[in-house]
Amino acid sequence: MDFTRILPEECLCLIISFTSPADACRSAVVCPALRSAVDSDGVWEKFLPCDYKSIILDSSSPASLLSMEKKELYFRLFCHSILIQNGTMSFQLEKGSGKKCYMLGARALSIIWGDTPDYWTWTSQPDSRFPEVAVLKLVWWLEVKGRIETRLLSSNTNYAAYIVFKLRNRRTTGFKHRPVGLNVNVDGVVPGEGRRVLLDPQDEPRHVREREDGWTEVEMGEFLNECGDDGTVEFSLKEIDTNYIKRGLIIEGIELRPKGIGSKVNNGHQCP
Amino acid sequence: MSEVDMAVTKPEMMKSYIWLQTADGSIQQVEQEVAMFCPMICHEVIQKGMGSSKNYAISLPQRVNPAMLSLILDYCRFHQVPGRSNKERKSFDEKFIRMDTKRLCELTSAADSLQLKPLVDLTSRALARIIEGKSPEEIREIFHLPDDLTEEEKLEPLKNTTDDPRIRLLNRLYAKKRKELKERQKLKNVEVEEERVDDRSVDDLLSFINGDGGDSKGIKTSKSKKKNRRRKDQQKSTSTNDAFKNHNKELYGLNSVCCSAEAGQRSWASVGASSNLHDVEDDIFASKSELDDGDIDDEIDPALKEKIDREVEDFARRLNSDWPERMQEILSFGHERKPVHFSLNGNGSLRRYANSEQR
Repeated sequence: MDFTRILPEECLCLIISFTSPADACRSAVVCPALRSAVDSDGVWEKFLPCDYKSIILDSSSPASLLSMEKKELYFRLFCHSILIQNGTMSFQLEKGSGKKCYMLGARALSIIWGDTPDYWTWTSQPDSRFPEVAVLKLVWWLEVKGRIETRLLSSNTNYAAYIVFKLRNRRTTGFKHRPVGLNVNVDGVVPGEGRRVLLDPQDEPRHVREREDGWTEVEMGEFLNECGDDGTVEFSLKEIDTNYIKRGLIIEGIELRPKGIGSKVNNGHQCP
Repeated sequence: MSEVDMAVTKPEMMKSYIWLQTADGSIQQVEQEVAMFCPMICHEVIQKGMGSSKNYAISLPQRVNPAMLSLILDYCRFHQVPGRSNKERKSFDEKFIRMDTKRLCELTSAADSLQLKPLVDLTSRALARIIEGKSPEEIREIFHLPDDLTEEEKLEPLKNTTDDPRIRLLNRLYAKKRKELKERQKLKNVEVEEERVDDRSVDDLLSFINGDGGDSKGIKTSKSKKKNRRRKDQQKSTSTNDAFKNHNKELYGLNSVCCSAEAGQRSWASVGASSNLHDVEDDIFASKSELDDGDIDDEIDPALKEKIDREVEDFARRLNSDWPERMQEILSFGHERKPVHFSLNGNGSLRRYANSEQR
């Protein structure tokens, strides 16, 4: 019995769409009929997040993205981030699970004193995905906040927020041996205490992680997004002890990605 | 009609039946409310008035054999009763689909031909669960599928070599982004920069065609290799370039050159891209292990090699002919620039000549 002869292609597409992207790719090398089914738009449209169209329309090149085949589009979003909201945010599908990942660029954050050139400057760096990053000249009151609506995120997912930054080698003061306060707050939930973490990798290597894109990240906190109707989530980085100056911090943004599912997947069993 | 007759006929009149005929010729009658649960049967009855008697039995599609029909009618009989709770329905469904794979497939097919969507979904999900997590070999075993993809076709999705429009699109996007960044940094020597951008894109493109990056095990074309080496010397490596190269290396992973440089091959990087993108996920895609076990070179005979060589050159030529348009696009993205016309000559070095009316 060759089930590809029994079942019409639409049925094969339907069956594959109930599996996962990884399973679909494996199925593509089984036989020609399955390969043909796997290539169809219907399958990959199911794997894309349901609001993908509105996300893409908000990006810098919607026409070219929308004209792609869905399979190609899926992998485009899987491999690279796209800039949305006027280049202030980026969107991607997380590599392990295909869930939504966002990064709030520095311009999407509210940085206290950020508009005062004496304290913060805005430059573009070639290794940043965003057109601009925030560079700290000097400040006593360091406070950076971001927020995102939970309806934008994948439901039933545990997310973690990461502050993505660099510390300049020279002219950096105020971060060695001095922690900053990091907090993640979901609307309507009693605010937690937050955590105090040292940003300098030499101080505390376990919390500070080097990213693949050359930046550094520290986890700010995590939260569970159930149905996406929890309003907004707020993230903050704060060090407002005005007894000492802070210098030399470069902020690319705050990244939100699923945690717990992990980027290392165990042999293809996908979580929905 | 006498009263006696009425009394006799009454019980029958209380229930109406629909007559159905399967492809093997056998005819049966089914309670109306059960049969009407299937949209296809419903349509036949209402639109065409069929099914009211043995002579006008509804001919069911060929995919519905008597055994499947019986199963489907069991399903309909249960679900058409309005009063059942969701829990009851779910529980029935779970027990209902416990059958061997072959029957599941036949049932899916039959339900599909009767347009009974809820049952199609149910059986499809069950089949999906069977497929999940299995290697291609296992899937073939379970469904008794012939292994009739050629070696080329099997390797191809892993490497995504030359999918013409996609490569171009990716390159375009990268080139655009680099262009944006460079503009913001206020370049002084515009023309030199442009040339460098162009070089990189072409080089990257050619390099993965040639399976560059140290991974190339298979077919090489000496011509393209030379292009590469020369290019490499000229290039400065910037972080974006490296990122792009690394990305390409990942994306077009187990490079051995264009086994099929046929443009329009719709099987994309899917397996290959993803299998090499995830750091640890290489083992997920069993196809990779298939490759690891075998040796690509051994499997490709000289005739095929030649064919592939020719295809590489063909691709390179095609790419070259598209280059000028792309250049125009990239250039017109900028501000005031003297429109220039780039051309790639045969041995790949970039030549530029001014053409003032191009825009």
